[in-house]
Amino acid sequence: MITSARAPSRLHPAIVVALIGLCIALIIWLVSHAVPLKLAGQAYLIIIILLAFRYWPPMIRWVVSMPVPHRVVFGVLIGSMVLGHYTLNGRTYFPYVAWEIFPFAHENDPVTCREFIATTESGNKVRLLVEQLFPSIVQINPLDGYSPEITERLARALAKVYNAHHAGDPVRQVDLFVMAVQLHPPASESRAQPSCELLKHYDISSGR
Amino acid sequence: MRASQTLRHLIGPIELLHEQAGPGLLRLTRLGVFALWIVKLLLDPLWRLADMPREMFQPVGILALLPAPALDQLLTPGGLTAFLVLTLVVLALGLTNRAFPLVATLAAILLTAYSSLIRSFGPAVHTDIVLLLAVYALAGFAWADWIASMLDGKKSPPGAWSSCPLVAIVSMLCLSYCLVGLNRTVAGGASVFTGDTMETWAIDASLRGYYFNTNIGWHIPEWPMIVLILRSGLPVITLFEITAPLCLASSHFRWIFIPVMLSFHLLSLVFMNIFFFDDMLLYLLLVDWSRRFPALRARQA
Repeated sequence: MITSARAPSRLHPAIVVALIGLCIALIIWLVSHAVPLKLAGQAYLIIIILLAFRYWPPMIRWVVSMPVPHRVVFGVLIGSMVLGHYTLNGRTYFPYVAWEIFPFAHENDPVTCREFIATTESGNKVRLLVEQLFPSIVQINPLDGYSPEITERLARALAKVYNAHHAGDPVRQVDLFVMAVQLHPPASESRAQPSCELLKHYDISSGR
Repeated sequence: MRASQTLRHLIGPIELLHEQAGPGLLRLTRLGVFALWIVKLLLDPLWRLADMPREMFQPVGILALLPAPALDQLLTPGGLTAFLVLTLVVLALGLTNRAFPLVATLAAILLTAYSSLIRSFGPAVHTDIVLLLAVYALAGFAWADWIASMLDGKKSPPGAWSSCPLVAIVSMLCLSYCLVGLNRTVAGGASVFTGDTMETWAIDASLRGYYFNTNIGWHIPEWPMIVLILRSGLPVITLFEITAPLCLASSHFRWIFIPVMLSFHLLSLVFMNIFFFDDMLLYLLLVDWSRRFPALRARQA
């Protein structure tokens, strides 16, 4: 028995590709009105990557071979990461966070930073870093974001921990400096250290 | 014809990483992930956090669900030490592989609390998040194994689905890179890759100082060659980040990806004091061990 063959497409493949491209562009244009392009753009690219794996034969074979509970776990793990990224929130839904590492251009010249420099009893200068004296903490916020009272408490906390491990030469004074590095230093200038300006002085020996 | 053969040779085999992985490799991965967390916790004097100004504490994640009195108890030297010891005990139990779904779930909860705690005095940085998600994957698939064995009446051979957590961990590692790269490209735009952005980031990170301090980053403006390397390296690294999911499919890509990204992480350490050593250790899962060592392959039913 002869079955009727499907009628061949009358459209040239190039026209089909162009039409698909136009449809995608229209969808992107429409969605971009509702969602900022910086979000929508990432969503398009993530969808393209996920679809590429969705139709990749070894991945299909692997997923199909899995029991349902395993598929659910895999989907939840990957889906949560993508959703977490779209919360645009690094704290509330941790560890499902927005994956932003150096996302924006900051061109401040000079680059400045506040930090504590301590003077020990013997006159040595030591840099007091939260991340070294409290190694649990990977990073704190820039010090200029804290009130003077909190900054002072932090200086005293750093001195206390330092002194607990350096009883022979404890810290007597902590200074808060603003360090500055020029992005475009004069050609003749050679620096061993960044320039620094004293902002505040904390007397630790008084025990206040 | 010759061109297509050359291209095929360059692209290499396209196979799913860890598709053939067996229970031996899964066991090694469990040991590796739990042992890495144990080492991290053993090196962490967590009790010192009690000396930090309490005003700087802004609870992250599940810690925000705890009532204030419970947080007050936790943020004492005794509370922090007890929490650290409890977490270490649970992680050590995880090494024994006994009641693994239960132990791994407990470990996942405690490690989530730990990771939230150490971020509550600053920004929720991305260090060791994938290592935490790896524990989630090990716990989740352990439960899935148990449920599947209940559903099919134990017809499947033991360890039949060993590849699942391994593929999931690598997928999450690659997805984390991919999301970072996409975000930088789409949200940051071209301005991120032009001008003084890279030098600003490097100087800022080196001035702030972290646990590792090379004190090199702030000299960057004096070294035009380093500036050129950093500026030209950023788009290349971002491209590798976006294409990281290809690691799941192409062994040839992985052998380019691994040295490039290891170099990037080492340069980040030298010039920015930032060290993602957890991710670097997870690169061990970018090697398809089961294809190289038959003993690590799954046995067919």
